[in-house]
Amino acid sequence: MPASVTAESAAVLNGTAAPESNGTIAKRAHYAPPWADVSIIGIAGSSGSGKSTLSHAIVNKLNLPWVVILSIDSFYKSLDEESSRKAFRNEYDFDAPDALDFDVLVERLRDLKAGKRAEIPVYSFEKHARTDRTTSIYSPHVLIVEGIFALYDPRVLELMDMKIFCEADADTCLSRRILRDQRDRGRDIEGIIKQWFAYVKPNFEKFVDPQRKVADIIVPRGVENQVAMSMVVQFIKEKLLEKSTHHRAALTRLEIGAQSEPLSEKVTVMNQTSQMKGMNTIIHDIDTPSENFIFYFDRLSALLVEQALNNIPFIPADIPTSQGRTYAGLRPKGEVSAVIVLRGGAALEVGLHRCITDCKTGRMLIQSNVRTGEPELHYLVLPPDIDKHEAVLLLDAQMSSGGSALMAVQVLVDHGVKAERIVLVTYSAGRMGLHRLTKVFPEMAAVVGQVVHDIEERWVEKRYFRC
Amino acid sequence: MSDVKPTVTQCVGPVYRSEDQKPTAVVSTGVEFDTVTILPQTPQLIALLSIIRNKNTQRGDFIFYSNRIIRLLVEEGLNHLPTVEHTVTTPVGRPYGGLAFQGKICGVSIMRAGEAMEQGLRECCRSVRIGKILIQRDEESAQPKLFYDKLPEDIADRWVLLLDPMLATGGSAIMAVDVLLSRGVPEERILFLNVLASPQGIQNFATKFPKLRLVTAFVDQGLDEKKLTNALSYIIPGLGDFGDRYYTM
Repeated sequence: MPASVTAESAAVLNGTAAPESNGTIAKRAHYAPPWADVSIIGIAGSSGSGKSTLSHAIVNKLNLPWVVILSIDSFYKSLDEESSRKAFRNEYDFDAPDALDFDVLVERLRDLKAGKRAEIPVYSFEKHARTDRTTSIYSPHVLIVEGIFALYDPRVLELMDMKIFCEADADTCLSRRILRDQRDRGRDIEGIIKQWFAYVKPNFEKFVDPQRKVADIIVPRGVENQVAMSMVVQFIKEKLLEKSTHHRAALTRLEIGAQSEPLSEKVTVMNQTSQMKGMNTIIHDIDTPSENFIFYFDRLSALLVEQALNNIPFIPADIPTSQGRTYAGLRPKGEVSAVIVLRGGAALEVGLHRCITDCKTGRMLIQSNVRTGEPELHYLVLPPDIDKHEAVLLLDAQMSSGGSALMAVQVLVDHGVKAERIVLVTYSAGRMGLHRLTKVFPEMAAVVGQVVHDIEERWVEKRYFRC
Repeated sequence: MSDVKPTVTQCVGPVYRSEDQKPTAVVSTGVEFDTVTILPQTPQLIALLSIIRNKNTQRGDFIFYSNRIIRLLVEEGLNHLPTVEHTVTTPVGRPYGGLAFQGKICGVSIMRAGEAMEQGLRECCRSVRIGKILIQRDEESAQPKLFYDKLPEDIADRWVLLLDPMLATGGSAIMAVDVLLSRGVPEERILFLNVLASPQGIQNFATKFPKLRLVTAFVDQGLDEKKLTNALSYIIPGLGDFGDRYYTM
């Protein structure tokens, strides 16, 4: 069974939760993550014409984590009993557009275009039915949609930025198909050939070939065609650069007006008590030995987490004491989980576990691009029920411009976490970054060890992890 | 004179939430001594106290959550220690005008419940010296009696963090301070760290030692009126016997 989404190229794959995002409040600043307007590239062509080989070649050549291949094969309709019997006798027409559920495909593509998460059905070719599982796609910057009918539905065409039609000699197609169906889809040669002449060939002329009329590029000889490959790759690179420029410009716009206004009341800066200042001094001192640095950073991060936990919801609780009395106390309303923004946030994990030993912890890797400084999401795993947690602590060691924190909060919101349930916990933050963040997400809370210069290198994680 | 003060019920939570968004709970009884610091009555602290007060809480949870409160007490207590201005160079090459800790410290736990606070102390102050004092109630007189002490030799030169989670009548705490004073520790260099106190205990202790600072997480309503002749008086609503719950129950 072919994977509907290639694991090595998928930006972010995750397994559950509703992809509904939050309601918005008027007057808030707007932030669109760089994956909000995903570029969709369609690759169609006859069976065996080299569509998926071409898709993979493009992904390899780009060598970026945000390019995802979506195979239209995932959208085969589940067959009813009669059709299923036909299918097992190789008498069902899989090569006609009717076999595909274009409504679901369009819906998923629209979700992705809006920057949301999309659940992609997983189709079993052995059983001729959709399985219970789904694969999710989230935050690709480029999505390659490949399949014999990738350029068939006009609603799909409307969403595409580039349309490619793969062409190959019919003999080549048949031989490739025999090899593939035997190896990957558990069919026998006789069945494959029966299908070819009964359905594949007539359908090609009727439905597949006409798609070349809507294509932007027609690629003969598949991956061997280096010129075509370079053209496609060049086009995608330009698209990505354009997106990155837009994203950074949007981040800059959010700075305006930030300096003069007071910080949001939902931002708690730790009281600068003498212990706090003393610990900060040890942490800041370049001559502090590593074991002291780690000891004091752990001690301070536990205090940050203790403070952050004052922002979670509590409900009254009557507590029976050993003296036979009742104490009118409180208990947390529900589960509290955490999400670590790697790698800096991991420096706060010891502090986190000193307060909640068994805290469920999601992780995401956001790295700033060395050349442009643009934050980029490389990796994401969240607790499956995160949208049901009463509070989610978002941990990062340092925040300067706020670009990666914005992205991290957006990711949580896209996974169904309400912004008012998010508490950012960070050792130090720039004023501007805090403004940006609370302008876009005014409902969220933040706990900050200290407010520092707007632009500061990420030195805490280097000291903590000693590399 | 009644032994039990009225409870103080109020909304607790961050300032940005309106009163109706904040749950109400019983918070610490106030006291009138400048030397007594009560930890901020945050919702998190109330929730932690709710766990350790609950008679149904298992020992593992009791240890974990009481340790969290103790760490907050130690952090607050350490703020009363002297510091001196100190400028350092940061890893990014900027000067940072900060503070350096001054003076040597040691811990002294009143056995056995006070020993339960040592872990929290060590989590904030690595390799701290810890002395011990054993005080037990005399079977005949019902008065506290010193059975054993082992203290750092240079204790007179140190700041002393005295540890006892429960302050009921204040009898043993007062005796422990007397031991420290007899070893030459000045009163103003003793910090008493306490989880739960009775108003009577605070009254007795703070009147006796007007220069000694006391940090507590919560002042409860009072003492159990049904106290038997020579048994301990219990704080109410209380949390039971701290030592038993931490070590043996």
